[in-house]
Amino acid sequence: MVKYLTEEWAQQAKKKVLETLDPKKDLKSMNAVILNIVSNVPPDNKTVYYYLKFVEGNLEELLAGTDPSIQQKQAEFMVNGDYTTFVQIGKGEMSTAMALLKSRVKLTGNKMKALTITKPLDTYTSCLKTMPTEY
Amino acid sequence: MTLSEVLSATKKEAHCGMCKIDYLDTGVCPSGKKHGFLAYWPEGRVELARALAENEVRPTPVLFDIVNSCNFCGICDKQCNFITQLRPMKVERALKEYADNVPKNQIQTVPEDDVLKDLRAIVGNEWATNDPLIIASYTRSALKHQPNASYYVVMPRTKEEIIAIVKLANKYKIPYLPRGNGTFFSVAMNTLLAPAVTIEQGILIDLWRMKDIDIHPETMSATIGPGVTSFELQKAASAHKLRANVAEAESHVCANAQNLGIITTWSNRYGWSSDNFIDAEKIDAEGNVIHLSDQEVPNPYATDNGVTSLSLIPNVIVTSLTVKLHHMFEDEENLFVPFTKLEDAIDMAEQLAKRDIGISLAIISSKYLSEFICPTSDVEEGFDHVLKKYLKVNYLVDIICTKQDKKIVQEMTNLIIDEPLVKSLILGSAKLASMKNSSLLKMISEENDPIKAVFGGPLRKHLERGLADTPRELVKVFDEDLRAFYEKVYSRPEMTDPVWLHMFRILPCRMERKHFWMYRGGYMPGDKQTIMKVCNALEASAQKYNINGAFGFLSYLEHGKFAHLEYDYYYDHTDPDAKKRVNQSIVDSWKRQFAIPGVTPLEFICNKGLRRKEHILYPFPAGLSEEELPLVDDLVESVFGGEDQW
Repeated sequence: MVKYLTEEWAQQAKKKVLETLDPKKDLKSMNAVILNIVSNVPPDNKTVYYYLKFVEGNLEELLAGTDPSIQQKQAEFMVNGDYTTFVQIGKGEMSTAMALLKSRVKLTGNKMKALTITKPLDTYTSCLKTMPTEY
Repeated sequence: MTLSEVLSATKKEAHCGMCKIDYLDTGVCPSGKKHGFLAYWPEGRVELARALAENEVRPTPVLFDIVNSCNFCGICDKQCNFITQLRPMKVERALKEYADNVPKNQIQTVPEDDVLKDLRAIVGNEWATNDPLIIASYTRSALKHQPNASYYVVMPRTKEEIIAIVKLANKYKIPYLPRGNGTFFSVAMNTLLAPAVTIEQGILIDLWRMKDIDIHPETMSATIGPGVTSFELQKAASAHKLRANVAEAESHVCANAQNLGIITTWSNRYGWSSDNFIDAEKIDAEGNVIHLSDQEVPNPYATDNGVTSLSLIPNVIVTSLTVKLHHMFEDEENLFVPFTKLEDAIDMAEQLAKRDIGISLAIISSKYLSEFICPTSDVEEGFDHVLKKYLKVNYLVDIICTKQDKKIVQEMTNLIIDEPLVKSLILGSAKLASMKNSSLLKMISEENDPIKAVFGGPLRKHLERGLADTPRELVKVFDEDLRAFYEKVYSRPEMTDPVWLHMFRILPCRMERKHFWMYRGGYMPGDKQTIMKVCNALEASAQKYNINGAFGFLSYLEHGKFAHLEYDYYYDHTDPDAKKRVNQSIVDSWKRQFAIPGVTPLEFICNKGLRRKEHILYPFPAGLSEEELPLVDDLVESVFGGEDQW
């Protein structure tokens, strides 16, 4: 079992998405670059960066870890939130949209465009929910 | 009497919270006043009885405290029956019988954990709990029943305690939720909005204890704590011959201001959102204190709007609000102008709004008037039927104005229901309702213009005289044992004084006595075309899902530039099929409203009440195109799940 939001997890997650989801049908050919900044990650309460790049529904990059170079990457959406919330999202207990609505995460970027990728992003998270993960 | 025998009555509990205010001069429930937690108030006891009857919760030793703290004084029956026609004492008796007979081996004990220990260190032992019975009493009025979820309820007394609670929640990484009197929750918790307005675990912060009120007559303002209700503020203000712009009597002013910005018929003169207050003190998610008057804080009044701006959980807790108070005039009077067609009522009200006539100005439906002034739902049905079918009164322009403005209204129309006639309608409501098959009313309905014939002709005097009933006659529609008390209530001048009733707003919860309701509508440009489009859209959604929809009220802002519409969907919240249909109609009505330029549905106003209305209303939302409308479905599915999850 891989630990959530580690480099190893990111590699397996990318593999799973590429094997499971159809870029057109499931991910609606979305174009989006998202940088999640996850704070208070145990055991040391560090900040972890979780970066996603979709081009025409293809998951081109999925990076996670504490490497600050991830933070330097250009992203059109930035999502800030606590580890506990990202765990809830990862487990499928709460959608990203619900987390936003409850002010559990903060979104920077074009909200109207964010709305257009809500559904494919839910499909993405729901696909990873089934991956054995240590939270 | 057993819990199962009172189950259907407990399910009807509307959580209006009126039992927590002394609006009939009876005093309030002594047990609730002493212990504070909802389980000790009539409202909470009824909910607890339901939860026990439905085996959602097992008894704990607290059950005996709750049951034994009731002295059967009967205040709850007097208060609750007046508004909702329920009799909480019956439920309390059933609860007592249950407690007397519960086998000892069924009583569970609940250990104190670290979070509770820390909470008690902040507020004192008696004001924090994780007892499942107390938590169950908040179900449907703040919390959702979730087996195995860890909840705590805490009742702080000071701002410092709230700061410590917020920091504690952050330390344990658990969510928290402030609760005023639960009026918004009680509406939302019966719908698909429930998961979005509540917490799935964590700390419920009940703000009832923070009841400080300081009236500053010299600056015509008042500084209040978050436990102060609209009724309490209005009472304190009126003692100084001043008036506050407040929501329904039971709502907590700070919570209402923060959430919806205090929506009233008085907005014609007093405004909305940040127009209502001078300063607010709030605690942010990190436990920092922010005053809106601080010069260093980033613009606290700015916000976004439109379909992407939905936020249903407060991200701050308002701990103090300094609100504006307003002059009251000796010559204020309430006038109603009846109309058959909404378009005609809008024409008149729009003219008045543009000219700033009316301290309070609205269009209300006959349904609204009937719900408020009729003592029981049976009377309401008959009264509304008479207004609509025979008198052809479907809408009323509702104006509170001074003598000077009254003259202008009189120049516009002579069809005015003035205060003496309103008084007759209140006291004679049961009599009018009982006349629904009378030959007199049939004759009136055959007139070319029944409104003119009744309110502008010789029939008016007959009507006034015919209706002139006494409190003693009116109260015959109540249960026999309560009649003497209600006779005294209706004998008080304020109970037939429409200006007082508009100010103190003790009657709106009567809307909940038969069926529950869901607030639809929101803000829009004040032109007739847009208003009619929105009304038709909301009516279409209601019809599509077989929901009883009815125009509630329309008020104006900014000299008629904007209008606020409340359109109500009435439904039986104890019927799963009705709940499903109302949820479908909510989603459908969002889409229909978002397609109309300039319209912001009410939910999209939530948690923006402390912002400037200009930031909320401008720029006018463009209206979603046909290609964009499916995005509303995506948002709904992502946030609330599919229909099977509602």
